[in-house]
Amino acid sequence: MSDAVLDLPSTREEAWRWADLGGLAAAAALAPVAEPTHEFLDLPGARLLFVDGVLDEGRSRLCNVRLTTLEGDDHALGRRAAGTGWSLRLDAQGVADPVQIVHVATGGENHLASEIVLADDAVAEVVETFVGAGWQNCFTRTRLGKGARLMRSVRLLQPAGFVSLREAAEIGEAASLVAVFLGAGGQGSRIDAQLVMAGEGAFVEYGGTLLTSAEQKQECAVRVNHAQPNGASRQVWRAVASDRSQVSLAAAVDVARHAQKTDGEQSLRGLLLHRTATVNLKPELEIFADDVKCAHGATVGELDNRALFYMQSRGIPKARAQAILTRAFVADALERIGDETVRAAFEADADAWLDAALQ
Amino acid sequence: MATKNAEALAAVSKKYEWGFATEIEQDFAPKGLSEDTVRYISAKKGEPEWMLDWRLKAYRKWLTMASPDWAKLNVPPIDYQDAYYYAEPKQKKTIASLDELDPEIRRTYEKLGIPIAEQEVLAGVEGARKVAVDAVFDSVSVATTFREELKAAGVIFLSISEAIREYPELVKKWLGKVVPQHDNYFATLNSAVFSDGTFVYIPEGVRCPMELSTYFRINAENTGQFERTLIVADKGAYVSYLEGCTAPMRDENQLHAAVVELVALDDAEIKYSTVQNWYPGDENGVGGIYNFVTKRALCQGKNSKVSWTQVETGSAVTWKYPSCVLAGDGSVGEFYSVAVTNNRQQADTGTKMIHLGKNTRSTIVSKGISAGRSDNTYRGLVRVAPTAEGVRNFTQCDSLLLGDQCGAHTVPYIEVRNPSAQIEHEATTSKISEDQLFYAMSRGLDQEAAVALIVNGFAREVLQQLPMEFAVEAQKLLGISLEGSVG
Amino acid sequence: MLKIENLHAEIDGKTILKGLNLSVNAGEVHAIMGPNGAGKSTLGYVLGGRPGYEVTEGSITFDGQDLLELEPHQRAAAGVFLGFQYPVEIPGVSNVQFLREALNAQRGGRGEKPLSGGEFLKLAREEAKKLDMDAEMLKRPVNVGFSGGEKKRNEMVQMGVIDPKFAILDETDSGLDIDALRIVGDGINRIMRKPDKAVLLITHYQRLLDYVKPDFVHVLADGRITRSGGAELAHQLEREGYAEVAA
Repeated sequence: MSDAVLDLPSTREEAWRWADLGGLAAAAALAPVAEPTHEFLDLPGARLLFVDGVLDEGRSRLCNVRLTTLEGDDHALGRRAAGTGWSLRLDAQGVADPVQIVHVATGGENHLASEIVLADDAVAEVVETFVGAGWQNCFTRTRLGKGARLMRSVRLLQPAGFVSLREAAEIGEAASLVAVFLGAGGQGSRIDAQLVMAGEGAFVEYGGTLLTSAEQKQECAVRVNHAQPNGASRQVWRAVASDRSQVSLAAAVDVARHAQKTDGEQSLRGLLLHRTATVNLKPELEIFADDVKCAHGATVGELDNRALFYMQSRGIPKARAQAILTRAFVADALERIGDETVRAAFEADADAWLDAALQ
Repeated sequence: MATKNAEALAAVSKKYEWGFATEIEQDFAPKGLSEDTVRYISAKKGEPEWMLDWRLKAYRKWLTMASPDWAKLNVPPIDYQDAYYYAEPKQKKTIASLDELDPEIRRTYEKLGIPIAEQEVLAGVEGARKVAVDAVFDSVSVATTFREELKAAGVIFLSISEAIREYPELVKKWLGKVVPQHDNYFATLNSAVFSDGTFVYIPEGVRCPMELSTYFRINAENTGQFERTLIVADKGAYVSYLEGCTAPMRDENQLHAAVVELVALDDAEIKYSTVQNWYPGDENGVGGIYNFVTKRALCQGKNSKVSWTQVETGSAVTWKYPSCVLAGDGSVGEFYSVAVTNNRQQADTGTKMIHLGKNTRSTIVSKGISAGRSDNTYRGLVRVAPTAEGVRNFTQCDSLLLGDQCGAHTVPYIEVRNPSAQIEHEATTSKISEDQLFYAMSRGLDQEAAVALIVNGFAREVLQQLPMEFAVEAQKLLGISLEGSVG
Repeated sequence: MLKIENLHAEIDGKTILKGLNLSVNAGEVHAIMGPNGAGKSTLGYVLGGRPGYEVTEGSITFDGQDLLELEPHQRAAAGVFLGFQYPVEIPGVSNVQFLREALNAQRGGRGEKPLSGGEFLKLAREEAKKLDMDAEMLKRPVNVGFSGGEKKRNEMVQMGVIDPKFAILDETDSGLDIDALRIVGDGINRIMRKPDKAVLLITHYQRLLDYVKPDFVHVLADGRITRSGGAELAHQLEREGYAEVAA
């Protein structure tokens, strides 16, 4: 195996059971490509363009974002990202315009650290887009103070290669983190997150849609750790796998001994478009408190044949009916994006993927 | 309520009602595990050469294996050299009836409330369901009843040692085919040193005329217990098999590593029910049984069916995943489980449903109840192979927590490689609400009765899968296991 | 308009229709009655083209076209509407989106221009109002959380918007109370009782026929039409039972 993955855990470890280490190594060894074009969304606020993990200052406007030296974490992916990265820090009550970050890779591997630190009652929105080739690895440390609110939207649109995201978040008292991921490119991926509900009454919604075709493998491995009482977490993930591809969704909820009145919910659903595709699900609960409400639902299957026929009998051609039903299937996981411009862009990406896959 | 629970927990802890030891003479194999131990066991049982070779092959494999990584379990290292691998009660090898049984053993059974004597009476009662008991006292079958009637039906129901001597071809054909020797650490160990167990063969088209039952007892101090069970249901056959166990109180941990293999051919059905109530250790977890069991069914035939039902209340540590390999088209696997943990008990149990054949179906209903300082884990796998068209699976995993010092864990794996599959998984975690308790108590139940009532309601879907004789015992057990757990 | 000749059909290898003949002309309402398991719903599904319902023998022509050659959505575009006995729930897809997609797909199939959002919404609201359905329900996902009666009314709203040439209504009366039955009956008459249209009512009971008066009543038993007559046959069936009349 290549040097790129030498220090990563093997798939014999539970948490890496479905990881695509081969795909990751292959991505790191991809030949260089010309820098792809990418447009920022029409939003006010900071715009950061990273090319191969390095800020292109000429084509960026930083506003309240800074470049600084950041540490990684003790996780195999996070450790590598230590070094110069971007930092968004807001003081109490601070409100920032949306921060857009575009990560462009032209081959090989790059590693980038970042931090989002919101003091009490601050509000921020961050939108990230990954394009290009090679292996991009980002570590994001998020700290939300009392009552702070963060909306994150991340889309993976690389035509090939691999994107790994290591996320470590601490959500303070009554703070709220909503994060939505969309994997609608051709790259492999691993979204590896550890979220700690560090304050009472914290709220997290963490989920997204992973769409795979050809030989692609995408996965999420998310743990929400309820360390304090009265927290609520919701993990909503949708997977659509076609051809010989594989999506794996592992979502865990840990409830600590005294984290009473926790409300943890997981909804993992997979849709297989072809008989050669694979969907793996692992909705895990680890509960040490007795007065909690934790439930999960997981389903895998194909589109509802009765619904398909019903739509056809009303005159909708089969392919169109499939597209409508598939879109409805993934919509749940995208509708949490609060910003309409961002949501529309994500939905358009998902639609474009579906149109291509359902042809 | 959490505080109240804690107070009650501190004050009360249920003593094991059935802890006592029977004093009868034992014949021991030398302490420790070596090739000589394996040869001793084989020779003692008068086994043919091929069986000894089979055991030795397993033993040599075992030497190369590493003890498993205990996912959720906290198990102190086991010293395999500090145990006896064979113990046999000194008495007449075979007996004609229960009357000839060692009176001490009979008394043990009676204390346990195992109705062996009653069952003979029961068998004589017109219309009453018959139960055949192959009592395994420690390692050797000391009594087998109802053999004649079963023989008339063509059913073979023997200890596995007898079967090795009397039906070597049948045993050779299937032993280790469902659970290969090298399957896992404990299955390999069992393959090397299994002491005794049960062999059942139901011939083509035969519906076994009675429920078959084996009560296991771990009795001799420091004796590893390695049961081996093999049940083969030929085409169109049906059998219901009951397994139940309790163990006497001991200070040292006892290892139990059984292997159960089931084979169902075309249109055959096997119903395997277990009530497991081995000694769980005292309130500090001292002295309980380690229960590391490998149970697996091969639904080889078309439209075959295997149904596992288990009520797990005992053992200090339980590690078991009764599974079904659904190879035959249209075959059906079911798993119904209630696992109760209290005090320091740890249970890690669940199932694997491996769908290989077309139109195979599986149902999983798991009810975990945690109390005291215990940990209760459901770990399961549903896998759909690319060739398996039209698969259906439904899984329901519910956890109930009593008190705030225990843990409930749900770790389901779902791996689907065929789009025509319909897989549904649901899970909930809840506690007994004060409203429910108050309501039941205001209707006149005391607290423990109220808890037992609610817990039995929670576990109902599983309990109703049990044969009637077991259902009553199981209901009682749930109540007893949880006494003192809610304040 | 519709001509069914010697129709044999099976599901999962089991033969349900065993030589059924039926002719329906423009301007006519036909009722198919019969005991449970006679093949009534199968007839509806075969006409709609549901996958799994295999025609092994015979023919169905609709306006001179071979209906069996067409995909389900092409049949809809040709003017065939199948009212479902159990309308399907589609989470995540709103009634409005569903119906507009359907209508415009059909219009496209006929070479007509699609309706704009505004035009469509106006049409759908009017139709909902006529069928006494709350316009808010148009925004909700298709049939999700609807009561049995609401689902049937929703089928009629769809029929009104789509305005088909030929409607097969499978047990449209089941699950309806008396007021809803009248509203649905009026709807069928208003939308479909026209000289260039025709209806095939599939029903177990005669009560719907009090509101939608059939020109012909057929008894379907064991995969064949065993008796045909006028509206009076329905009353006779109700009085004397299928066993007597169908024999």
